[in-house]
Amino acid sequence: MQTVKMVISGAVNSGKTEFIKTISEIEVVSTERRATDDTSKVKDKTTVAMDFGRIAIGNDLVLHLFGTPGQKRFDFMWEILSEGMLGLIILVDSTRPETFRETNRIIDFFVSYRDTPYVIAANKQDRPNAWSPDELRLALRQPPHVKVVPCVAVDRESVKSVLLDLLYTILERSNEEG
Amino acid sequence: MPLVGNIQDFGLSDFLYLVDRGYKTGCLYLNREDEQAVLFFDKGRLIYASPHEHETLSDVLMRIGSVSSPEVTQSMPPVQLQSALQPHVEEYVYTLFGWGEGEFLFEHGQKPNADAPILPTPIPVENLIMEGVRRIDEWGRIKDRIPSTDLIPRFLERPSEKAKGVKLSPEEWRVFARINGKDSLATVAQSTGLSEFDVCRVVYGFLTAGLVEVVKRQRIQAETRSAAGSGSGLRRSLVSRIIARIEKM
Repeated sequence: MQTVKMVISGAVNSGKTEFIKTISEIEVVSTERRATDDTSKVKDKTTVAMDFGRIAIGNDLVLHLFGTPGQKRFDFMWEILSEGMLGLIILVDSTRPETFRETNRIIDFFVSYRDTPYVIAANKQDRPNAWSPDELRLALRQPPHVKVVPCVAVDRESVKSVLLDLLYTILERSNEEG
Repeated sequence: MPLVGNIQDFGLSDFLYLVDRGYKTGCLYLNREDEQAVLFFDKGRLIYASPHEHETLSDVLMRIGSVSSPEVTQSMPPVQLQSALQPHVEEYVYTLFGWGEGEFLFEHGQKPNADAPILPTPIPVENLIMEGVRRIDEWGRIKDRIPSTDLIPRFLERPSEKAKGVKLSPEEWRVFARINGKDSLATVAQSTGLSEFDVCRVVYGFLTAGLVEVVKRQRIQAETRSAAGSGSGLRRSLVSRIIARIEKM
């Protein structure tokens, strides 16, 4: 059985757990604990280890989805999680500009070591005060070739669309490399 | 829908970059304690900035001593008006870079009143960002975006074209000329004879104005490997199978 891995990352409360829950075929393995640091100001419980979801592609192939912990003190997990990943989805809470700087730090971390294909999912687009994907691209200073796509992590079609955007990005990159 | 946020988390330079690259038209309101600032933009360029939203052209010209009576403002040629208003507006905007906290609200499409002190020629914001950032000498803020001198600065798209709109000092040109996408900030400091702090401060300005990015050496190596096709190689058929599966879900 071959497995491929995608990593879902983003700042605290960006919607990583919801995103994986919405698309995974298995009950998401999530290690939630009562937050003990500044995170508690945003949410009572947060993912301190990681989320894990799974989609069977066929009898011989499985897609694993790993959500990274949002809290800074678990940064060391990111490098382990990013080993051998096929692609990366960065979730951003489009309603909270105070998390954009942290989001940039996360993008820098993952992209600075590996030339991994990634897309940015502008989550919570159903909220009235959400920044648009175009505004987020500028706020996060992403170049035009990086896809910044709208997302509502609790909506299955929206999550599918983000995953497909990433997969097409990987495919395009793969074609360019020959 | 207005864009709202906190200056501490998303500073004025970040916002000016967004306005510039997004060719935004509208009004940016800044508030902190009992102070307020209003900046109007037209297609990404600044046309008016003031602590008072409803100030008129004659109010401003009289305040800064350019005219002695409101009647004179009517007949003022645009060139003269520009030279009277622009330094005043620029200096005011530079003071706003010092606001470490407060709130912002950007109202799309909002335009100033017809009698507002609108600049005949809108000001490009890249220069405002560069000068505003020049006045920042806090290592802490610079470190936030340049955490190490091992990082390598490299140009973003078409640097010479972008740099045309920005007035660089001789010291900034010395650094600019040595950015080659290979040498680290520490190396640039050695070759220019400037201190690492000065090089980082200059590069922070370039970064903020969107002229350069700073990357780790590993990233450049990974890109080189990828461009040479020597990486692990992504299996197209495998990705195509996953796409087909997701589409059916």
